Amino acid sequence: MSKASKLKSATLLAAVLLVVSACGNNTDSGSNQVSDNSPAPAASTDNSAGNEKKIKMRVITITTDENRNKIMDEYIKPNIEKALPNLEVEFEPGGGGEDMANKLKTLNASDDMPDVFWNDAGYFTPLKSTGSIMDLTSAITADGYIDKYAVPDALKHVDGKIYSLSSGADTYFTPVIFYHKDMFEQAGVKVPTTFDEFMQVSKTLKSKDMVPAVTPGKDGWGPKLFMLQQMIQIGDPQAMADLVSNKTDFSNPSVKEGVARIEKMAKEGVFPEGISNLDYGPAMEMFTSKRAAMLMMFTWELPNLAKDDTVDFFPFPSASDKYDPAKVVQFWGSPLNGYAVSAKTEHPDEAVKLAEFLAMADALYFESTGAPISLKTGNAASEKSPLMQKFIDWYNPIPTKIASFALNSLDARTSAELSSQGANLLTGEYAADSFVTAMDKIWSENTWFDN
Amino acid sequence: MNKYFSTKMSIFVFATPALLLFTVFCVYPLVPEIWMSLQKHNGFQSLGFVGLDNYKAIFASSSFWTAHKNTYLIVGISLLLGIPLSMTLALFMEIQTPRLRRFFKSAAMFPAILSVTVVAQIWLAFYEPNWGLFNSILRAIGMDSWTHSWLTEKNTVMLSIGLTFLWQYIGLNAMLFYTGIKTIPKSYYEAALIDGANFAQVCMRITIPLLQNIIKYVLILSTLGSMAFYSHVRVMTAGGPGDKSRTVIYQMYYTAFDTSEFGKGTAIAVVFILECLLISFLIQRFVARDKLEF
Repeated sequence: MSKASKLKSATLLAAVLLVVSACGNNTDSGSNQVSDNSPAPAASTDNSAGNEKKIKMRVITITTDENRNKIMDEYIKPNIEKALPNLEVEFEPGGGGEDMANKLKTLNASDDMPDVFWNDAGYFTPLKSTGSIMDLTSAITADGYIDKYAVPDALKHVDGKIYSLSSGADTYFTPVIFYHKDMFEQAGVKVPTTFDEFMQVSKTLKSKDMVPAVTPGKDGWGPKLFMLQQMIQIGDPQAMADLVSNKTDFSNPSVKEGVARIEKMAKEGVFPEGISNLDYGPAMEMFTSKRAAMLMMFTWELPNLAKDDTVDFFPFPSASDKYDPAKVVQFWGSPLNGYAVSAKTEHPDEAVKLAEFLAMADALYFESTGAPISLKTGNAASEKSPLMQKFIDWYNPIPTKIASFALNSLDARTSAELSSQGANLLTGEYAADSFVTAMDKIWSENTWFDN
Repeated sequence: MNKYFSTKMSIFVFATPALLLFTVFCVYPLVPEIWMSLQKHNGFQSLGFVGLDNYKAIFASSSFWTAHKNTYLIVGISLLLGIPLSMTLALFMEIQTPRLRRFFKSAAMFPAILSVTVVAQIWLAFYEPNWGLFNSILRAIGMDSWTHSWLTEKNTVMLSIGLTFLWQYIGLNAMLFYTGIKTIPKSYYEAALIDGANFAQVCMRITIPLLQNIIKYVLILSTLGSMAFYSHVRVMTAGGPGDKSRTVIYQMYYTAFDTSEFGKGTAIAVVFILECLLISFLIQRFVARDKLEF
């Protein structure tokens, strides 16, 4: 072989090695590997084995709202080492909404799922279809964790399997309208009981230089998660229930009327300027700093808002005789929302224990706020704030609870398009008819109900 | 030296690693991407071969064309407004005293070294319709009717984001132009002064013509940089309201990840790669082809 050929071969070999080493999948460095910072040789699930090597676990969960951050800072991080001494857990912020969904979809596509993660109906389908999410039924039955739930059947997906562990607080989350009593008094308005009264109250508040109502509108958050459902429901609850179960579509006159109500609110200045680009945090701040008199929001914010004595709430006001807020309500819960375990984790037993610990941390936090939960913590019931008690007294006896449209009826494309269309509607530059036409086409291609 | 480094072999030796890396990381990924664009794909698995259906679907989508309109608007702002302003800034820096020049150079580079998220957050505060800087100034001077909800109105959203982009990178381009100006021999300017040329004539006859290589570089950088415009949109509006501020890259991301239609998403990517190649070719073919020596 000539010198030139040898040099060429050596260069090529070096380049190939460089590329291969860069592309290679180092099987020694996965998230589930035993760390080197402990002298013991093997991973163990024995909690008493303090000197043994710890098993590394990776967790991705929601990090966008105050409740979640408090749970992490006050209930999970201070207690996890004591509760699970054999684990070394790395928490990765997941964000929320579409960001969280895209993150998990991408990790799933690249076969890099975390051991434990927050599951959501919005991205459950692709995780299930690729076998990335574990059925927890046998594990939580064997260790007795399932017995801690007041209603174990509520954990089951429609296929009868259990994929997520939650505190059960979700079932008690429903959208309401929070308001500042002092701002209402100052403006001389009373709590509205009908949609027309609500519009009149908004006009009065606006005339007093107050922003009448606020809600997160960026990326269509509010319209998708509750506003569309509420605006249809207050006119015709049956039409909303039918839409959730795919028995009707967007051409239904009651659905069109609901959409028209959102257009009306946007056009008549119920919301602040720029509502369609208003994120969750700024929307909350706008209400808590009393720059807006009302806040359309789920009751997961109730414990935080109840700290302000001037805050009260009322259900969405009726737009027809068909709706009575004491008889029909939207609930947020889905058995899919909660901590799930990757089916591909190398340490399934430890991952299940970790998911159980995280669900219990959720329960302890919500219990401390006085919120109702279905996961028993063993603690005596805490004293509830007057606002929480008012909520429970109103919510619990309601006979008809309609499931969330956002969680129980939309495939990924329909969900994303509803976000876009909802944001359009909030600009006040987009007609309800255009929304209905666009959504009717998208709805006809929705694959959620095909499974 | 010549024995080893002036032969075809040496060219091969030095080019091979880069060529190999380029092939593996840039050329090879195009193959599965093109293949994916011919399938119905959810990002995890193929749901069947659909031929050119994805391409037909994206061409029939109004969002695809809105995204193109927005992308080329940003390219237009970047080229027609950004490059002349950068050049003006560079010429302005050149005639300053050394102390002021140092100040302007630092000020020009400052936005470019900030992260996109920081810049976007700053400008979000400027554009906030209720208490933001721009509307507050307009109200303070009695021009209430000029106030806008800058990032949610369809007529202002893209221009507002484009202005943010322009602000961030105008200084960087100005520094490139300024560096080019410093390479032009002083004797040319001295001769022009003796001949009685004024500042504008010196700029038009000497500085700008002799900067053609830098102009070409900035043109390519600005064009392709603007076409890849994504981060500002992501942070400032998330493409909204609706699809009003989506660029092509954002539309591709939205289609693939938000709607889980990876087949259509990659079809958008393939079309856009062809557009970028065409524009790059046109710039190479028609801009500053003559070899410049001075």
